[in-house]
Amino acid sequence: MLGTVIDWLQAPLSGLPAMVGVIVWSIPVSVFALWVFGKTSNQDKITAVKNKIAASLFEIRLFNDDLRAIARAQWEITGHVLRYQGLALVPMVFILPPLVLLMVQLHMFYGFRGFAPGETALLRVELATTGGPRPDLAIEVPEGLHLETPAVWVPSLGELNWELAADAPGDYELGFTIGGTTATKTVSVTDRVVRLSPERPPSGFMDQLEWPSEPPFDRDAQIRRITIAYPEATMEIFGWSWEWSFAWMVVFFVLTMVFAFALKKPMGVEL
Amino acid sequence: MTTTTHAHRWSGVWVGTALVFLVLGAPATADAYIGPGAGFAVLGSFAVIFVTMILAGVSILAWPFRTVWRMIRHRRKSKPLVKRTIFIGFDGQDAQITERMMAEGKLPNFSRLAERGCYRRLRTTFPSITPVAWSSFSTGTNPGRHNIFDFLDRDPRTYLPRLSSAHIGPVEKTLKIGKLRIPLAKPDIRLLRMSKPWWTILGENNIWSTIIRVPITFPPDKFYGAQLGAMCIPDLLGTQGSFMLFTTRPEDEAFQEGGIRVSLSRNGSATSFEATLLGPENSFFEGNPPMELPLTIDVDPESGTATAAISGTRLELRTGELSDWVKLDFKVIPGMKVSGLTRIMLTETGEHVSLYMSPINIEPGKPAMPISHPSYYSSYLEKKIGPFATLGLAEDTWALNEQITDDGTFWTQTQDVDGEREQMLDIALDRLRSGALVTVFDATDRVNHMYWRYIDEGHPAAAGVDDPEYADAIERQYIRNDGIVGRTLDKINDDDVLFVLSDHGCTSFRRGVNLNAWLLKEGYLNLKPGADPTQPWLQSVDWSTTKAYAVGLVGMFLNIRGREARGIVDPGEEAKAVKRQIAANLQGLVDTETGDIAINEAFDTDTLYRGPYKGNAPDLLMGYNHGYRISWDCASGVVAGEVFEDNVKAWSGDHIVDPRLVPGILLCNHEVSSADPHIVDLAPTVLTLFGIRPAAHMDGRPLLDKASLK
Repeated sequence: MLGTVIDWLQAPLSGLPAMVGVIVWSIPVSVFALWVFGKTSNQDKITAVKNKIAASLFEIRLFNDDLRAIARAQWEITGHVLRYQGLALVPMVFILPPLVLLMVQLHMFYGFRGFAPGETALLRVELATTGGPRPDLAIEVPEGLHLETPAVWVPSLGELNWELAADAPGDYELGFTIGGTTATKTVSVTDRVVRLSPERPPSGFMDQLEWPSEPPFDRDAQIRRITIAYPEATMEIFGWSWEWSFAWMVVFFVLTMVFAFALKKPMGVEL
Repeated sequence: MTTTTHAHRWSGVWVGTALVFLVLGAPATADAYIGPGAGFAVLGSFAVIFVTMILAGVSILAWPFRTVWRMIRHRRKSKPLVKRTIFIGFDGQDAQITERMMAEGKLPNFSRLAERGCYRRLRTTFPSITPVAWSSFSTGTNPGRHNIFDFLDRDPRTYLPRLSSAHIGPVEKTLKIGKLRIPLAKPDIRLLRMSKPWWTILGENNIWSTIIRVPITFPPDKFYGAQLGAMCIPDLLGTQGSFMLFTTRPEDEAFQEGGIRVSLSRNGSATSFEATLLGPENSFFEGNPPMELPLTIDVDPESGTATAAISGTRLELRTGELSDWVKLDFKVIPGMKVSGLTRIMLTETGEHVSLYMSPINIEPGKPAMPISHPSYYSSYLEKKIGPFATLGLAEDTWALNEQITDDGTFWTQTQDVDGEREQMLDIALDRLRSGALVTVFDATDRVNHMYWRYIDEGHPAAAGVDDPEYADAIERQYIRNDGIVGRTLDKINDDDVLFVLSDHGCTSFRRGVNLNAWLLKEGYLNLKPGADPTQPWLQSVDWSTTKAYAVGLVGMFLNIRGREARGIVDPGEEAKAVKRQIAANLQGLVDTETGDIAINEAFDTDTLYRGPYKGNAPDLLMGYNHGYRISWDCASGVVAGEVFEDNVKAWSGDHIVDPRLVPGILLCNHEVSSADPHIVDLAPTVLTLFGIRPAAHMDGRPLLDKASLK
């Protein structure tokens, strides 16, 4: 359900540069996080401990001829900083779970980019069993994609690997047949910011939490997981390109901090 | 109960923390993110540690150079006899009351200190008032050398009163853009106290001092040490303390001593009211219009409560209960504001609604005027103890005099200010490894002034005394002081020197003397034909025929030709003769109604003072007898009325009398050499304790030396 909501909210942003989408998402996230922080943290204690830190900093300035006073102030600052971080832990308990769910969803949009025609990527199918001869697995590749290499069987890992090539833009579905059962895996060849599915995960809460774009395989299915190595997304920041799947997250983090800082006074929250 | 709550809270934190780590530990994508709140905490902490390390690093690296520089620049000439000298001042603590309470065993810590060292009566200055006495304490000189003779001086060009201790001038240079006036310089704020305070001399000798709320330190001195200013720091309106009364009551007479009445108007319903608070002048705009803040009040008359909203703060008020400090932010221009602190109290919610607002103190965190040295010292203290009173006369005596507040409210104000002061003392004492420390507590003086009617049977102001809770207010204050002394004694070391002192005592103020009415009666002062003698500030006086007049609280001036704008008395022999004549007439002046002597002696300041500034002093200083003081009317320049009148105000005790009647106190943990010490002796004493020869201009003599410390 969360995926559907995110898809719906993300739809207007799909044609825009990734940076714009990250900026747009960071604003409501900042507001939400600030609100929760304000409601769940002990604001009086945070104010008090920040005042103590500031007082100790003043003290270093005031008694700058007295090395013992400086050392004492530093020691006190360390204690206050630890206490400050301890106070920030409580709201983290409330902020992180929903935020992690959102981030995982956004990572499917901003962590990777779709294939461009002519690009190739590793397609990996992990089976439930390892060892033995190569299993009889048939792969069906739709028009617009093709396999560059035959399957390579790694018995110790129970993996079959292909090199998959994109020919034309489009949303595709690969078909896999093994032991009379079939499975599918989506592939996107696009230059828009859309939901991608680098992995169709095995059954399990954590795997499903991390790779939410496609339904997981059944617990007793012969295929455990299928992954496609999408290229890492590129963030364009003031003309500088940063290619890293977590780059958007760093930008997002900085932006939420900036917006939170800007909004903390209007919202009456002490950070 | 509390332990259980804490346990619950901490178990919740641990479970939550475990959950967070579980969530973070699983999906790799979330590892990099911790959210803005926690992000600030983490990054902020790193930033703090980073800044701290840089500050510490710079301090450590610069320390040897600074030390060498100080040694070269301020070479110590002799060896200090002590490591720390600590002064605790209780403004106005009376010797007679102290001695009686010590004898009754009510001040055990004063007695403990006296047994360890000594107790003496401390002679005070002529006149025996706070700004003069503490200036003599600071400089070790008589008023002729430090130039502070009274709270008020007069402008000889206009005969109008002006503040004697500080000059606050406007900004002279501005850039005009339309109606906007951008200041290109700082306003001219100068301390008018002359001579050099002992902490400046200590600083020149590389010895640190922390000086907290010693009167007449606005603007603060610049020296090697820290100082929080006191009297005469103004409020945010630039006055010496103007309370406000927001009320639905119809306009009444103006407050006599310093209050502003603001009309409350209904705001759509019978229980909602609004008003506009006119704040400080905005010098950024032509005509200096006041900065405004809207105030709204929703009253619940049945419960006697109200919700007030001002400057983004909502306050739940209960009749008769003073709020905590409320921060008021006045917008100057976009991006710039001036902040103040006030305390608010609902005073009535029946037929009429009234709200009291204390004078708006300069906010110490980001002060609008120089109230401390270094400038961030007040911010440092604010971070340490929270918001605190900065106004020179922090306790609102005027509102109690005008019966806007009551004894209970005033008691709360004085005790809260005293509490703030003790926290400052604790912090300073804890940080002082060597050097001097002074902290002055004002509450004793204010409590003496306002509650004397409780201890003086038959006092004219005693008619309004109906709350037995405050009958022993003065004793309670002295006992509180005893606690401060006890806690300080417990914290000092054997090689520290501790002085506990007061600048003067106190006595009853039953009857006021209108000196201008007396001068009128005796023919020394004349009125303009047809003038209204009830006009304030001597506006009714005919200067062309007037030989003498009284301005301020302590003395009388001759209208001297060449000195005063319209002087008629020749400065030579004629002035001496007039002065002699007036002094003779005033000596032993009898109150015709009571038959008591009102004035013991009128002192000629020409013989009383020595020094370059004695020409600025009043020509005669009044030595009132017990029970007498300048009248309220005379203090505000009103000539009309009887010479003697009852004082029926809450301000019922005073010390503007013959200084010999109201000595202060001096206690020390060492035996002092003099049997009759004077407040000017303390400056040379502290210099001697730090191995510095007292300055030649100082009038006092050291009370301790190497021999007496052994």
